Amino acid sequence: MLGLLRRTWHLLRRRRFEADLAEELEFHRAMKQQELEALGADPTEAAFAARRALGSIALAQDHSGDVWRPLWLLEGVWQDVTYAVRDLRRQPGFAAVAVLTLTLGIGANTAIFSVVNTVLLKPLKAPDAARLVRFVTISGTTSSPVTGAQTFEIWRRQTSVFADVAAHRLEFVNLSGGSEPEQVPLARVTTEFFPLFRARLLHGRPFTADEDRPNGGEVAVMSYGLWMRRFGGDPRIVGQAIAIGRVPHVVVGILSADFDTEQFDPRPDLWVPFQIEPERIDGGNLFVVTGRLKPAITIEMANAQLAVAAADYARTVPVRSNRQTSWLVQPLQDAMVGSVRSSLNLLLASVGLVLLIACANVASLLLVRADVRKREMAIRAAIGAARGRIVRQLLTESLVLSLAGGLLGLAAGTIAIRALLSVAAGSNPFSPGGTDFTIPRIGESGAAVGLDWSVLTFSVLVSAVTGIGFGVLPAFHAARTELSLTLKQAGGAASSSFRRNKARALLVVTEIALALMLLVGAALLIRTSLAFRAVRPGFTPDNVLTLRMSVTATPFETRAGITDLTRNSLERIRAVPGVVSASTTCCMPLETVWQLPFVVASRAQSGLTRAGNLAFHAFGGWTFVSPGYFDVFRIPILRGRDFTDGDTAGAPGVVIINQEMARRFWPSSDPLSDRLIIGRGMRPEYDQDPVRQIIGIVGDVRDTGLNRSPRPGMYVPTAQVPDGVTILNVRLLPLVWVVRTAGEPYSLSVPIKNELQRVSGLPVARIRSMGDVVGESTARTRFDMWLMTIFGCSALLLAAVGIYGVMAYSVQQRTKEIGIRLALGADARSVQRMVVFQGMALTLPGVGIGLAAAFGLTRIMASFLFGVTPRDPLVFMSAPLLLSSVAFIAVWLPGRGACRVDPVVALRAE
Amino acid sequence: MGEHVPPDLLPGTLDLLILKALAANPQHGYGIAQRLRTVSDDVLQVGESSLYPALQRLLLKGWVKAEWGASENNRRARFYTLTAAGRKRLAVERQEFEHLILAIHKVLNAT
Repeated sequence: MLGLLRRTWHLLRRRRFEADLAEELEFHRAMKQQELEALGADPTEAAFAARRALGSIALAQDHSGDVWRPLWLLEGVWQDVTYAVRDLRRQPGFAAVAVLTLTLGIGANTAIFSVVNTVLLKPLKAPDAARLVRFVTISGTTSSPVTGAQTFEIWRRQTSVFADVAAHRLEFVNLSGGSEPEQVPLARVTTEFFPLFRARLLHGRPFTADEDRPNGGEVAVMSYGLWMRRFGGDPRIVGQAIAIGRVPHVVVGILSADFDTEQFDPRPDLWVPFQIEPERIDGGNLFVVTGRLKPAITIEMANAQLAVAAADYARTVPVRSNRQTSWLVQPLQDAMVGSVRSSLNLLLASVGLVLLIACANVASLLLVRADVRKREMAIRAAIGAARGRIVRQLLTESLVLSLAGGLLGLAAGTIAIRALLSVAAGSNPFSPGGTDFTIPRIGESGAAVGLDWSVLTFSVLVSAVTGIGFGVLPAFHAARTELSLTLKQAGGAASSSFRRNKARALLVVTEIALALMLLVGAALLIRTSLAFRAVRPGFTPDNVLTLRMSVTATPFETRAGITDLTRNSLERIRAVPGVVSASTTCCMPLETVWQLPFVVASRAQSGLTRAGNLAFHAFGGWTFVSPGYFDVFRIPILRGRDFTDGDTAGAPGVVIINQEMARRFWPSSDPLSDRLIIGRGMRPEYDQDPVRQIIGIVGDVRDTGLNRSPRPGMYVPTAQVPDGVTILNVRLLPLVWVVRTAGEPYSLSVPIKNELQRVSGLPVARIRSMGDVVGESTARTRFDMWLMTIFGCSALLLAAVGIYGVMAYSVQQRTKEIGIRLALGADARSVQRMVVFQGMALTLPGVGIGLAAAFGLTRIMASFLFGVTPRDPLVFMSAPLLLSSVAFIAVWLPGRGACRVDPVVALRAE
Repeated sequence: MGEHVPPDLLPGTLDLLILKALAANPQHGYGIAQRLRTVSDDVLQVGESSLYPALQRLLLKGWVKAEWGASENNRRARFYTLTAAGRKRLAVERQEFEHLILAIHKVLNAT
């Protein structure tokens, strides 16, 4: 420790130290000389002798200095660096190719790491975030984070293991009053939520437990963003009422600016107490639950406790469920990240391969360079440069290259990934449990992904490791140079040793094998994307515009209100020039699909399954729509009739089912003569639902994902939905207006928006074409596909450059030999053929190895693929073909150079 | 390349010798070399290229300290002084060395 201190001190006063040492040695030399003179030596001779006796002063100085520098790497680094830079500038072509190659490799890694960092590594902002857990209900093979009041109450009571168990969900409401009504995201949370995430309030207070009970009053907490934007940061707003929908809420607190739980996307502007009504029957999937593990409690302990609680619950509520239901907690961050982890791991592995290829390429370049500089190295060694010193110099050079590449890569990677994320990333705030479609935690268009210390450190580390990785082999090769042999060689054209050529050949084979693996991966994802595109979703998304309107806490949230609103507004919208048809719905395909249990009336007593205290035949998709919905989406009505304005609340209940449901539940009878009881027993609201006559069968829609087969689905008219169900629905999801247009859908967004606002007085938001909604549902696949394609193409390019380099250099080295061949009458063609042949002899083993490796490895990609098997023959044929063709061009070019060698020039060159 | 340690010198002994040379009074590098040579009847010829690194090593370990002063012929010279830690070290090393010599002696005289 003290030694370190002295060393540092020494380092700081180095100049002084060196001057001291020099003076000391000079003193020593003078004394020696004096001594010799005293013995009667001639003064000049004495001077020489003294100097000789002292050995090389420089050496003594060096050794004395070394004592202080166990960190010998640091010493002379600057000298090495300047030397390396000067050297590289002498060969700008080499330097440019090397740096660009590394920029590509390191840049791609930086890009992927910055996403991995944001999504997987960056901890949640909440203090002690590692102890936060998400509650999950496992039912059969499916697991869901969404739950209801009864279960929540049980979880909340497990106070021996959990603290601050909070329920929360995202809604969209209108903030009226003031100049312009605005649709804002709102979080409905229980009181535990703010302590759970250790929220700090800038003004006022969070809501109290009393306010969180049913009828506890209308209060709200406001986000810093909304407070600044809409209320100018005026603290006097606390205690005043703002209108959410048409209901006044008293603002009790303002959250601090940095409060972000990442539990809601988009970030909520308003927070209101949940006011859960505990007597409601469980099963209506309503909210997500998060809690904190108590100190010294592990996930396993908590899960054991939950298993006991689940068993207790099963005893008190006698159920005969065919689905085994259990409860679990998992670390919150894991739960949020979900399935994206494996996708990011795939990308990380792939990008690692790209870097390996880049390294192989640069190593190969350096080997050539080392060949060319063999004489220089030999001379240096001859005049006394230590082997270690030469290795160090060469390693410094590769580090300079890799750090330059790293710096450029850092810039390029950060910019590129942002561009890619903003194009490819989607978001879907309308699926309460989250979806597999999107990448979590990256913010709006990937805004949260960016440069920070971890990314910076990562880039620098990768650069350093890369620099040493590709530099070590060439450096030691160069340092091993046989002195006498090299110096004896005539002229500058030292021929490269067999060993070195073998090393380069090995690098090329490796590169090609790796590139092939990446190409296969990319091709599989391209096939997947094409398969997605080829999927017939069951509706026509082109030329459909969708708009969201929150009707919560307005007169329109009841059945009568919403029916009037839709009838009046649809009339006006249909009158807008360019509008073909229009309708409304609760929820859009690929965004939200409610599942409700149903009972087939004709066999109400038989074949029922039970879950909780529900008896039903099965679950089916449930959507309420206004007349014209099937027209807008061009969903064919296969039998029966569409809804009309005559299907009102007073008229007999009706339902339209999809083909899949008809096929599955009426395989040999006519569904149109049957009736359905939907959602009975789920929640009190559904008990008002009439027994519905099946009046039509429509085509299947892939509404839960383009890659998922259609499931049984039911459609009911908006006008026949019980009030309670409507209120619940519009709270969870803003009403959707869907409009089929004659031309480009976005061109009509302004007139339609104005028309809607005029009729309802409510704002519309999140205007999207259905094409974009479909696009967002495959965002993650597309993101993976684009990245893999970029990696695959980079790998292809790098491998091509690599093999080109090897062949071109070998041709250049053999100019003399080729000249002789030509002079002896060899056919230029045959010379070219020879070069191409040799090049392909490197390519084909690489292709073979790559093919075998890919064949073994693509299985791990199975979960990312759709419509293509991991060992798709087309992919496994086209990828090697593409690579071989590119390699052929890469070796054909130097081959052409070879046959143009002028024998006279070549022979004279010596 | 200059010699580091006289080939016959046991490794580590140079430090001991320097410490001993400084035990009586502060001395500069040249003086240390002279002293080692004369006291050992010209047997120990310590090369400068091992003397000065050794001195730096002792400085680093804190066993000696260095100060500039005037030499006997009034030139500026760097004088090395034994520190308290150095004195302790000298005792330790000396003891170890004597153990070693004794051991070697026993080996040589064994029958």
